[in-house]
Amino acid sequence: MSTVKATRPLDPSPRLRRRIKPVKIASFTALLVTTFLMLLPLFFMVSTSLKSKREMLKFPPTFLPESWALRNYVDIFETLQFGTLYKNSLIIAGFSVFGTLLSSALVAYGFARYRGRGNNFWFILLLSTMMLPYPAIMIPQFVLFSKMQWIDTFLPLIVPAFFGSAYNIFLLRQFFSTLPEELFDAGRIDGCGELRMWRTIALPLSAPALATVAIFAFIYSWNDLLTPVLYLSSSDKFTLPVGMASLTSSRFRIPPWHLLMVASVLAMVPIVTLFAIAQKQFVEGIVLTGIK
Amino acid sequence: MKNKMKSKRYALLLATALTVSAVLAGCGGGKSAGNVAAGDSGARNTGGSGEQVTISHYTIDSEDRTFIEKLIPDFEKAHPNIKVKVEKAPYEQFDSKLQTLIAGGNSPDVTSHYGYGGFAEYYNKDMLLDLTDLIQEDGFKAEDYHIPENLMKIYTVNGHTYGIPVNMYVTLMLYNKDMFNAAGVSYPPSDYEDKSWTFDRMVEDAKKMTLVSDDIAKTQYGVDFTWAERDMRPLYFGAEPYSEDTWTNGGVPSETHFDSPEVIAAYQKLFDLVFKEKVSPTSEWSKSVAGQNGDPFVAGKIGMSIGGSWNLAGANDFPFKIGVAAVPWGGNDKVRSTLFVDPLLILKDSKHPKEAFEWIKYLMTTEVQEKSIELSGGNPPVNTEAAEVYYKHFDGIDPEDVKKVYEGAVKYGYESYNHLITNYSQINDMFINELQPVETGHKTLKEVMPVIQKKVTEIIKR
Repeated sequence: MSTVKATRPLDPSPRLRRRIKPVKIASFTALLVTTFLMLLPLFFMVSTSLKSKREMLKFPPTFLPESWALRNYVDIFETLQFGTLYKNSLIIAGFSVFGTLLSSALVAYGFARYRGRGNNFWFILLLSTMMLPYPAIMIPQFVLFSKMQWIDTFLPLIVPAFFGSAYNIFLLRQFFSTLPEELFDAGRIDGCGELRMWRTIALPLSAPALATVAIFAFIYSWNDLLTPVLYLSSSDKFTLPVGMASLTSSRFRIPPWHLLMVASVLAMVPIVTLFAIAQKQFVEGIVLTGIK
Repeated sequence: MKNKMKSKRYALLLATALTVSAVLAGCGGGKSAGNVAAGDSGARNTGGSGEQVTISHYTIDSEDRTFIEKLIPDFEKAHPNIKVKVEKAPYEQFDSKLQTLIAGGNSPDVTSHYGYGGFAEYYNKDMLLDLTDLIQEDGFKAEDYHIPENLMKIYTVNGHTYGIPVNMYVTLMLYNKDMFNAAGVSYPPSDYEDKSWTFDRMVEDAKKMTLVSDDIAKTQYGVDFTWAERDMRPLYFGAEPYSEDTWTNGGVPSETHFDSPEVIAAYQKLFDLVFKEKVSPTSEWSKSVAGQNGDPFVAGKIGMSIGGSWNLAGANDFPFKIGVAAVPWGGNDKVRSTLFVDPLLILKDSKHPKEAFEWIKYLMTTEVQEKSIELSGGNPPVNTEAAEVYYKHFDGIDPEDVKKVYEGAVKYGYESYNHLITNYSQINDMFINELQPVETGHKTLKEVMPVIQKKVTEIIKR
């Protein structure tokens, strides 16, 4: 970066500055407009979450709530067992992220560092699992887990994460292959075992990619609806998406959109937090691995 | 042929996936089992010990369905050997979970057709237990539970009973009293025997209330006619798109007549409301006012709304005064209202059908049906004795009107096709897609109906 800067004239001529300006204004306006458009649904989500049930049905809809129904944020805990749902979702997502990171990083390390016989074959086999849609494995998997007596536990939602996911393995493998060989040679000279090199060299250098995988794994688990619906049957084990889906499940009632929006606002918090923490790493991870 | 090969390949894939996942899960099971507190899994399969039996009732995860959990304690007190467990899923996932549970050997005992698939679909997939012997053995009589005999017949195929009706929605007209008052139009009657109440008069009334303006906030329409699902609407005008045998053989029509002049004329009359008379909203307008699945009536922009009686459930929250009225006569002397009767079904794989039947009987008693109205927030009972309580349930609506509308609807009612015809969810999806260009004015019925006729025939054969 610094070399590029140095070749630029330090003080651009006034003419040049004038030429750049309108472009800058235009691009800033464009950015502002898109930002506004992107934030509009978000704004309506928050605004609806503060409307009363009656105001929610109004047409044309009000932009800001007429009377701020802060009570909605209390009511959601009474309508759904919101605290329990939230806790369950966090537990499951937490273990899933840990499991995905651990297993995917190990497998990806293997694929990136070793040139074994049939390497490509196994990698293609791995990638082809991405093409198997969940509904195709839904029933056999259910039969399996039910034989293991795992129904109505969190295990079917967590354990599969410990067996890697093709997409994340692919992503990490790309990143691991960019790490310079010299580092590992140095490690080997100092008497490092393979597992230790993975832990002390590969992992610390791959923070951006790991952050990316963590965010993907978290969002996937956090939003997953079908799997918890299939495997959980007691209400006190339900996850957030299951509880939120129940709000719109009646075909015979007007859905309580205001409460659903409250739930959505609150459900967004962990994702936004996680993204805020890992943002810098995340963007880098996407750029460096070439994955979009 | 191509399909067969595809499914074979699919099966192979499935088998491979199963083996691989079995191997994988087998070696890793213990590793992380300690991480999470294991629940009381397997409790449901221990029915045999000490004659204590657990049955499960599978339903939708929404307040108007899960209220049955509150009825369990009293039932268990009266039947100490039976435990009832409620298993639930959101509407969208209802069918997937049911299929998975059955395929996985964890079949629920009691359920209803609450998902996309109707009774006929369950029946033709051979999922249902024939209740005839159970009923005989038990001495169950519909009249003891005040279930009208004609409703019992709905879920009887070739003399075999497969379901006990529990709730009944009808088609009725809701009208916005404020809009009627503003336009100076007299309220429509709730009496089905009032011969002056016809489709044409409804259109006349609607014209007086319709106001189309460039300002979307000022626009309002006289009538929104969403009678039954799309394929059933010709019946309202007296045209029958499915052959007679459909209703007796478990929902497999030998013939359909969607391209007949009568059926096309019937649809024409409905689309004329939008394009010729201009008293009904276009589907785009409705969506912009009320959202994808919303009802513009709720927003106070529609004078009369013909639809399912579930629209009544939100009545207490509407910001305007409403009334209920009879569905006007449209040319069919026998049918004016669609009935949506939900049965309780016992699944074929149930391990305790007798105990499940005890639970169903309990849910049908007048006392429980009355209690259910309040607990569910206004589910209409099938039990005619309990129905008296239902008629009084709605603030600001005359119970006499609700009663007249319900009784008229049963007299002039026909069960909704979506419960009676096989592969219905596919038929319905196809109808929505194919009629879309007509609803937006891009195609005519004459172009579309022959295509629909062909596709219906294909779907039924599947």
